[in-house]
Amino acid sequence: MTPHPAARRITAAFTDAGVTGRLHATDIDTGAALGVGSDTPVPTASVHKLCLVATLYRRAHLGLVDPTRPVDIPAEGRAPGSTGLSVMRDAARLSLRDLASLAVAVSDNTAADLLWDALGLDTVNTTMAELGLTHTRAVHTMRELYETMREDAAGDPAAYTDPAAVTRLRALDPTRTNRSTPREITALLAAVWRDEVCPGEYGEELRALLGLQAWTHRLAAGFPFDDVRVSGKTGSLPTLRHEAGVVEYPDGGRYAVAVFTRAASTDVTLPAADAAIGRAARIAVDALRTPSA
Amino acid sequence: MDLLLHLRYFRTVAEEQHFGRAAARLRMAQPSLSQRIQRLERELGVRLLDRGPRGATLTPAGRLVLADTEHLLTAADRLTATVARVHSGALGTLRAAVPPGLGAPAVGALLTAFRTRSPGADLELRELPTTEQTAELTAGTLDVGIVRHPCPAPGLAFGPTLHQPLGALLAADDPLAAPPELPTAALTGRDLVLFPRAEAPALHDETLTACARHGCTPATVHEAAGPDFTRGLVLSGHAIALVPRTPDGAGTVWRPLRGNPVTWRTSTAWPDGKDGPAVRLFADTAHEILREHADMRPAPSARMVFPRPASEFPL
Repeated sequence: MTPHPAARRITAAFTDAGVTGRLHATDIDTGAALGVGSDTPVPTASVHKLCLVATLYRRAHLGLVDPTRPVDIPAEGRAPGSTGLSVMRDAARLSLRDLASLAVAVSDNTAADLLWDALGLDTVNTTMAELGLTHTRAVHTMRELYETMREDAAGDPAAYTDPAAVTRLRALDPTRTNRSTPREITALLAAVWRDEVCPGEYGEELRALLGLQAWTHRLAAGFPFDDVRVSGKTGSLPTLRHEAGVVEYPDGGRYAVAVFTRAASTDVTLPAADAAIGRAARIAVDALRTPSA
Repeated sequence: MDLLLHLRYFRTVAEEQHFGRAAARLRMAQPSLSQRIQRLERELGVRLLDRGPRGATLTPAGRLVLADTEHLLTAADRLTATVARVHSGALGTLRAAVPPGLGAPAVGALLTAFRTRSPGADLELRELPTTEQTAELTAGTLDVGIVRHPCPAPGLAFGPTLHQPLGALLAADDPLAAPPELPTAALTGRDLVLFPRAEAPALHDETLTACARHGCTPATVHEAAGPDFTRGLVLSGHAIALVPRTPDGAGTVWRPLRGNPVTWRTSTAWPDGKDGPAVRLFADTAHEILREHADMRPAPSARMVFPRPASEFPL
């Protein structure tokens, strides 16, 4: 297959930002698609929360779980994280679907782990397989993922910014951590938007939930238009910056895009690398909207 | 049949002229040795030894075979020794690379030091930008390299990181050239000259971010690929180039930035899991040479890192 003409520009956008990137974009209604490394296995990091919340709502639709079921959240034993319940101090009680909201809105690792505990890794993997996503697989919860990081860094946080140490992190190796491919993640999003994961009210609720994300520095930054709606979920680990989401135009065009990048730099703050995700996504979406472009 | 092994048995019997004594020397049973010599004779199709009551004597054919046996075994021993030296890094061809701009003294010292430490080894050294080195290391056409960071990491392992401070290359009559060193913030409002961004976008951005972090916001940034053009822009008067230590001369001077806040990071790199003795010898040698001849030093001190919530992972 000859690469799409836009693929060269997408690669150039990644290179210009000092990252290597994989991307897959698909028109949710026509199935037209393009990509760069679409079928390369990638470590998903927090993008895997998409699989988690999609599983919650699919099982709710099937009557296997009540998304309003309350969960007790003790003050102790929370997953590491810089937002949400992970940084809150006191015991709380939230429903499964409100945990899902936190897991998407601010990538709350504790909220995500409570859902992983409630649903089980196997259930999420099986649900993905039912949807035809056979390369999408979770092997650990967020706290287990951070445990591998701590072990690999041998207790030295400076290791996360040391190039030699970063190369040894298992969390960055798609054979040893939660993984998927750009094509499978867009397939999941397209299925959610086509009501194939859970139709009806639960479908509406799931899509609304995926629009809650607070960050706008990646995918949304590529679409700074008031009349364009961007839903998405980011994922980040040392040198990794990802986001997968859906871009909806007022003319009815809707596109699922998944972008997975790895920066050459180990710096934690890299606005150019974040912005490259939006830039690459817009090149892809524009190419799908104007096939001659 | 292991011909070399059987020839060794034969040589021992020929030297001892006696199966019993030869068997004792070889620490094996005499019948077993006899069988092996018979097997060799069958394989070669000639009788090598006459067995008598007082011992074993060489036949005329045996004498000819013994002469060639000596040559063969000597050559075999040499081969084994060579392979052992290749494994230990003392011999063989090592395909290595250095990044552009490392400086003639460092490249010269690296070649000399490697040759001294590994006289039998053939070092094939090329100058390649970091991006090309990573591509070749991944493709297997390069064994080891010296790369500048940020360097794409998939599939690679790195040696320890060294820092090379950048300083200001100024026109000799520039007022900023008067003191022996200058604060980075003094470059604010001036035109900066840096290598072309397309050569290494991440390093270009990192360098300017480090300048900003230390109070320097340049008026504009010019891109210059080579030392001549860089020097020309500096000589024109308004521009200041950010470069590693450079000898003064031809109307320009180099001044360090106070506290060395802007550095380029360098390390050795090789394909992960392929750090044989030759690669390690090169990496260790390069690390020493870069410290001695390229103004490089270990990381000054651990940098504070404050991830923001949107970074998604805590430290």
